[in-house]
Amino acid sequence: MKRYDLIVVGAGPSGLSAAIEAARCGMSVAVFDENAKPGGQLFKQIHKFFGSKEHQAKIRGFKIGETLLAEADEAGVEVFLNATVAGIYLDKEVLVQIGAAMEHFKADTIIIATGAAENMITFDGWTLPGVIGAGAAQTMMNLYGIKPGQRVLMLGSGNVGLVVSFQLMQAGCEVVALVDAAPKVGGYGVHAAKIARCGVPFYLSHTITKAEGSDCVSGVEISQVDEDFIPIPGTQKHFDVDTICLAVGLSPMSQLLKMAGCNMVDDPRRGGQVPQVDENGETSIPGLFAAGDVSGIEEASSAMIKGRMSGLAAAAYLGFLNEQDKDNRLADLEVALDSLHQGMFAPGSKGKTFAKTDEGIAVSQSLLKKGYLDDADIERFIHRPDQTIKNSGIHPVIECTQNIPCNPCQDACTRGCIKVGKTITALPRIDAANSCTGCGMCIASCSGQAIFLVDEDYAPGYASITLPYEFLPRPQKGELGTALSRSGQPLGHAEIIDVRNAKAFDQTTLVTIKVPVEQAMTARFYQPKTNAAGQSGKKEIRQ
Amino acid sequence: MNRISEHPILGETEKGQLVTFFMDDKMMEGYAGEPIAVALKAAGLMVHRYTHKAHEPRGIFCAIGRCTDCVMIVDGVPNIRTCITPLVAGMKVQTQDGVTALEVNK
Repeated sequence: MKRYDLIVVGAGPSGLSAAIEAARCGMSVAVFDENAKPGGQLFKQIHKFFGSKEHQAKIRGFKIGETLLAEADEAGVEVFLNATVAGIYLDKEVLVQIGAAMEHFKADTIIIATGAAENMITFDGWTLPGVIGAGAAQTMMNLYGIKPGQRVLMLGSGNVGLVVSFQLMQAGCEVVALVDAAPKVGGYGVHAAKIARCGVPFYLSHTITKAEGSDCVSGVEISQVDEDFIPIPGTQKHFDVDTICLAVGLSPMSQLLKMAGCNMVDDPRRGGQVPQVDENGETSIPGLFAAGDVSGIEEASSAMIKGRMSGLAAAAYLGFLNEQDKDNRLADLEVALDSLHQGMFAPGSKGKTFAKTDEGIAVSQSLLKKGYLDDADIERFIHRPDQTIKNSGIHPVIECTQNIPCNPCQDACTRGCIKVGKTITALPRIDAANSCTGCGMCIASCSGQAIFLVDEDYAPGYASITLPYEFLPRPQKGELGTALSRSGQPLGHAEIIDVRNAKAFDQTTLVTIKVPVEQAMTARFYQPKTNAAGQSGKKEIRQ
Repeated sequence: MNRISEHPILGETEKGQLVTFFMDDKMMEGYAGEPIAVALKAAGLMVHRYTHKAHEPRGIFCAIGRCTDCVMIVDGVPNIRTCITPLVAGMKVQTQDGVTALEVNK
């Protein structure tokens, strides 16, 4: 039986982070993962992450995964793949299925970082081929380069549903609608706005009542629901789709912890059956830790921090790290974690409704119902007392209206035009006293794609708008297309006057369009004549 | 085609060697090393199996080897999770009917 100082179960963001910290303290570390590739779900995350520098904000998930693997390798972590941990027994003995063999391992500490599994909901026809989890869609398109379908309906408006909807369009699929039984969008408003401006309609207070088709999905029926989430007869709507994507939450995969005999609690806020843990993830069994989604559903950034905390705590438990160093390093990580746990989407804010932002501005109801800011919201947020905005010459317009933990825009602007301050959930504020050069770094660094550069003086009667664009084909200078509003409605002709691709923009193309000056504050997306964003023909149908 | 030829963020997907395999006696193409389910999806095949009692169709659902909806008979072995089993040249894949192979009308 092979022995290690630490065995980690799960090679996702949390497990790898834990293994890295522990190995750096001198521990021998084995990581088991049932998958053929390490990294958990990180390699399916192609969007830029939120947070601040210390959380690797504005870096795409799969790049963070690559860094973690390199760090684990360098630290001497041993990663076993296709290795399913089938049991944890007394005195930290671990039973692992590797290939067809069952092998025993023993450790002095164990960290369980098995993550979470997708939730599902049932409806007529939900077992038909073509009904898939949002994670399945991500796996197909972002790992294996295959479209999950041609026409997709997404159920679930949390961050997973929103992010995957955008990724579906990036993969060339058409998203016909985003549906959620809740009365308001669950995820970040900026994620919702990204897909709304591509023309995806939002159906809040709706649910799927039927998946249609005989051998596979050929259509879907949705219905409005009442306050008790019961479908209202007569409100059915039909869409022709070949794929129905479910993004209805995650549940911790905590079976191993239960099997090990840890004290478990049923905590809906943490996503279900979770272990009782202290602030470093130690369970009721000394030396056995839980880190990441398995001890409470959050997201990858906090999972990585929690993993690091457990790794350090495990090292201190075995004497590989002295108490003083442990306390110092944990204190730093706690500060980093705490900054992610602030604002409207913090774990502690679940289920709460916010009428105003921390700045005292009434939140956008349109964003919560339809996925985009209306004119009154723009007026209220752009012309707010704490910022002065120019309406001549090139200047940034920031459409970030919720208190989310994110601040790369502040670091991106070398001229000091954009200020978030110490609290990273504060809304970014524009300081017009500093002059914008139009470099575009703020646009590319905004994970929510909520920053635009506007120049009302581009030409007599015309304004220029620079916007982030992450679809193929990349527009070409001189090309003529259509300017779209925040809700994806066509406003009129737009001419591409500049296209910028820089290494620092990390695959986000900065497209500058020329539109009539009246559209300076309404045009927010560009649709080429040959539609790239996958939303073909929809504009005509919707009018 | 269901394959993404070029992706705005990921560029071109790295592929193994193009190989042939058998799907219910029909010759198909896929890339070695990609999950069997991906090769089938690329060819537009949706139904992986039929349930034993109600004879209902099932296909890819979770795509990460968790739900077992996509199991098929691979090289004569039933209940193989095609979403996590790499494609090998010459593989014999069959639609599963209950736990046996579906009889295919030629």
